[in-house]
Amino acid sequence: MGKKKKSAQNAATVAEPVAVEATSSNDLRACLEEIKGYKGVIGYILRSSASATIDLKDPTKLIDYAVLSSSALDAADEFSELFKLGKIKNIVVEGKDVKKLSLTIHEKRISVFMEKNTDCEKILKRLRALGQN
Amino acid sequence: MELKHMDNEVYSFALKSTLDEIRNVCPDIENSFMFKENGEIIARDESTPEKVIVQVVDAFDSITEKADAIGGVECMTIECNKGSVNVICIDDLYLVTVTSTKADLNHVNIATRVLIPTVLKLLEKIHPAPLKKERALPTSEARPEIPAAEEAEEPAEVSGEEPKKEEVEEPLESEPSLPEPSANQLIVEDLQGFLVPSDIVRIDSETLSEWEKLYDDRRIEEVEVETFDGKSTQCKVIPIKDWKYEGKGIIRMPEKIQITLEIKKGELVRVKPIIK
Repeated sequence: MGKKKKSAQNAATVAEPVAVEATSSNDLRACLEEIKGYKGVIGYILRSSASATIDLKDPTKLIDYAVLSSSALDAADEFSELFKLGKIKNIVVEGKDVKKLSLTIHEKRISVFMEKNTDCEKILKRLRALGQN
Repeated sequence: MELKHMDNEVYSFALKSTLDEIRNVCPDIENSFMFKENGEIIARDESTPEKVIVQVVDAFDSITEKADAIGGVECMTIECNKGSVNVICIDDLYLVTVTSTKADLNHVNIATRVLIPTVLKLLEKIHPAPLKKERALPTSEARPEIPAAEEAEEPAEVSGEEPKKEEVEEPLESEPSLPEPSANQLIVEDLQGFLVPSDIVRIDSETLSEWEKLYDDRRIEEVEVETFDGKSTQCKVIPIKDWKYEGKGIIRMPEKIQITLEIKKGELVRVKPIIK
């Protein structure tokens, strides 16, 4: 209960989503809220063409994480093009302290940040299941 | 200097052989190559053109620049429909492997994460490491002297001139200067502005002064720039003024020269001094 309250306070909606946004957006957000409760997860960024929702335990890292997230997705596009690898399924970037999982679902770019030793397979499975709906 | 070059060749050759062996063990690896933090290519397989590697380095650089928030990049995996890209950091070297969907990634990871560090350690023990020495230098001194794998075929005359292994430990100043122009491989960066002359390129002052030292303190005013397609031109050269381009293995080039050489930003060129 207390946890939910805290995450609601931390959530920073940068721009309001358009009114007609499909339920998939709400499902995604709900799913990410659930994932945020997983052990080791430190936050997420959800970006669509019209809005961006950022929820991080440490809001001071907000810009750094958002910039990294965007750069990684752009670079991955370039890698995929260079080596003709087709559509990107997911990107994992591991730093010394933090790991980042990025993927695109229903044209929304998602990045989940977690502690380095967190198993991102569980998160990936959860998000992929949502993507198949 | 020449001995250092030979050491780099030895490293390059050993690492290239290791990459080839890894590919023999894991045939689903389609591309593999290694580069240093400053973008210098250390080893590559035959199936990956240098142009592609330069673009990869460029793209990867855009991530590492922004990765301080997560403690730098130690590893990156991009999973796609038709395969995966894996980048791992070993000391300050990056190893890139591109695999098909059929590949057993665990198998590939074990092979790369065990073999490459082992070979690096062995090389350091057998031969005091030139890569390490360069790593110890400040960034501005790390020069992109790319030891192309194909150049590794001609070490014989080198060993004849420099017989003593201990001299590897000597500072660079004590090494004899060489008359033949040494080519550096640099990455093209745009040079724009109203007052920018169209016939002058800019490169690291470190590289220029190194060349000057090599040629009895003769002033280097012109260089020959050659593309990998064989096009070349001669132009005037001055040191890079903007600090953010220093020590990155870059040649800043006006648009006119880029058009002449049919190249663009991000591509690799060979640059050597013209001694008059």
